[in-house]
Amino acid sequence: MERALKRGSTGAADRLKNSNFAQAWLILVLALIFGAALAAVQVNLSGIIAANKLNETLERVPELVFGAAAAAGMTSQNASVDITPGTVTVRKDIKTSYYNLFRVTHEGKLAGWVVKAGGQGYADKIEIIIGLDPGADTITGLFVLQQKETPGLGNKITFPRWRNQFIRKKTSPPLVVTKGKSQASNAIDAVTGATISSRSVTGIVNRAIGDVKGRLTPATIRFYERQP
Amino acid sequence: MTDLPTPSERFIQGILPENPVYRQLLGLCPTLAVTNGLKPALTMAVAVGVVLLSANIIISLIRNLLKPHLRIVVFTLTIATFVTIVDRLLAAYMYQMSKTLGPYIPLIIVNCIIICRCEVCASRQNVLAASADAVGQAIGFGLALTGIAVIREILGTGMIAGVQLMPTAWPSWVIMVLPPGAFLTFGLLLALVNWIDSTRSKNEGSGG
Amino acid sequence: MDYIFDIFVISISAALINNFVLYYFVGICPFIGVSRRVDMALGMGSAVTFVMTIAVFLSWTITTLILMPGAPVSRWVAGYFMSAEKAAGIDLTILTYIVYIFSIASSVQFVEMYVRKFYPPLYKSFGVFLPLITTNCAILFACLTVMSNIIGVENPIEAWNLGRSLALGLFGGAGFTIAIVIMSGIREELDLCDIPAPFKGAAITLIVGGILAMAFMGFNGVDSGLKAALAGTP
Repeated sequence: MERALKRGSTGAADRLKNSNFAQAWLILVLALIFGAALAAVQVNLSGIIAANKLNETLERVPELVFGAAAAAGMTSQNASVDITPGTVTVRKDIKTSYYNLFRVTHEGKLAGWVVKAGGQGYADKIEIIIGLDPGADTITGLFVLQQKETPGLGNKITFPRWRNQFIRKKTSPPLVVTKGKSQASNAIDAVTGATISSRSVTGIVNRAIGDVKGRLTPATIRFYERQP
Repeated sequence: MTDLPTPSERFIQGILPENPVYRQLLGLCPTLAVTNGLKPALTMAVAVGVVLLSANIIISLIRNLLKPHLRIVVFTLTIATFVTIVDRLLAAYMYQMSKTLGPYIPLIIVNCIIICRCEVCASRQNVLAASADAVGQAIGFGLALTGIAVIREILGTGMIAGVQLMPTAWPSWVIMVLPPGAFLTFGLLLALVNWIDSTRSKNEGSGG
Repeated sequence: MDYIFDIFVISISAALINNFVLYYFVGICPFIGVSRRVDMALGMGSAVTFVMTIAVFLSWTITTLILMPGAPVSRWVAGYFMSAEKAAGIDLTILTYIVYIFSIASSVQFVEMYVRKFYPPLYKSFGVFLPLITTNCAILFACLTVMSNIIGVENPIEAWNLGRSLALGLFGGAGFTIAIVIMSGIREELDLCDIPAPFKGAAITLIVGGILAMAFMGFNGVDSGLKAALAGTP
């Protein structure tokens, strides 16, 4: 195309350049080509991207409810674990909050719940998922999905050593953050030098459990079908 | 027409002599933002390289049809399309990295490097020269990013891409992976490059 | 009342705590290149704030009305071509970046015409920098932040409305202005110092910028404290 334009008539190229009509057509043609490319990308990739987003949480669910070792064992046995997503709406005064959660059943029986919660951390928003036993009396796991806390200090909340403190804690009375080991059954030892991050996570856990606890019934949960 | 650089000259120029980051001071936003780890830095360099190459090729193919007024519109449209495609590909196949890089991938659209190369090279030369230019500039960009990322990550966390390099007793200079560390590292490296350059031209001047 | 507090926290956060230049690294090019005199820096900052607010307004409106999955206008138009339920799922987010950059370019055009008509000497002193605001990362970044608070959120009730978005645009620009004015003041002083040759120009500006970023790190945690104080929890 370039050779033809150069060799043939530079007049033609110049005319194309200077004609507004031709320029408008050029932009239109480009827009159509790019639009088609984008549509192809959208059609092919949007499913994969949505699946990525969901799997990020789904992958964690078994180990949050059953514990890491048991979950690994289940995967190797291909045990039938059913995970159903749903939402709970909580209306307090004028504020309405939504909680996304998952009901986990193993071989037909209710095995536990996983609740997604978030809140303000020290630096930015923190998003966590909490594993609960069927009656929502005990915490079975905690995982931090998203955080932007200070590297080396606040982001130690993602370390298993700190998160595992939450396992086997009762959901009431609410958890309290302490500096240094405490004997109380509802104490969480703060990360050294990151008290605020630790308090934020514990606050999110308390709030989420407090909101969701009485509402884990078929009447209050809106389940939806998970896309395969 | 005769004084435009050849494809191989464009390629070599892009790596060091006309390095987009250190010499032209373009594309500084991703340079500072994603260099707190080696993997994000490399991913960003590859992403910019892909967009730069695609945009250069397309613009070079239609360069004879572009009226001066509308060329910015066409550049922007092309670059934005390719950035969208790259962004979606990353989200589909490298989801965690896409989340780490966050808004900095779409910011490639306003990355001065790409618009500048389209303007200076692709709209004036053939596809071969434009491609060579794109690849050269991309390699230069990658080298710059990698240099800063290596320093920041080793000093800041003692690790490189997850591999522990420093002894565990090393007190990580956390400031290096935070925003101030980016400014300081880049500023010092830029001074170093300037110094090397001035020493070299002094030697050439006195020797030759 | 909740809403006012939210706006307040967003504003302080965008201006000081998560300053666009010193924390998110957007708008670095003018930060390093333009700032040399305080009055020029102030003019540049105001222009960027103005454009940012208009651009954020445009992006929020277009995203909520046209681009969002299931957006009203697109749904209405698509309803003519396909069944109602397929139209409800229409998702034009793939066009986001293209639409945003063109709306930013239009905002800059608009501001340029406005400044040329009403402040001719200011327009002359800006020179080529006014059209260059189109490639300012900060403005696209503000639009993208607004987008991520509309499209990515799982609960539609937490999607940002226009007020919050405008607060981000206005105060993000204010934060940019603060950073660039402080930097220009420092550079005015630096011009009188004896700086080693390799550091002259961009290098010393970056190092000073690093120290400035460290200073602004002191604001870290203020927004979580503010939120806790405003919500009444310890």
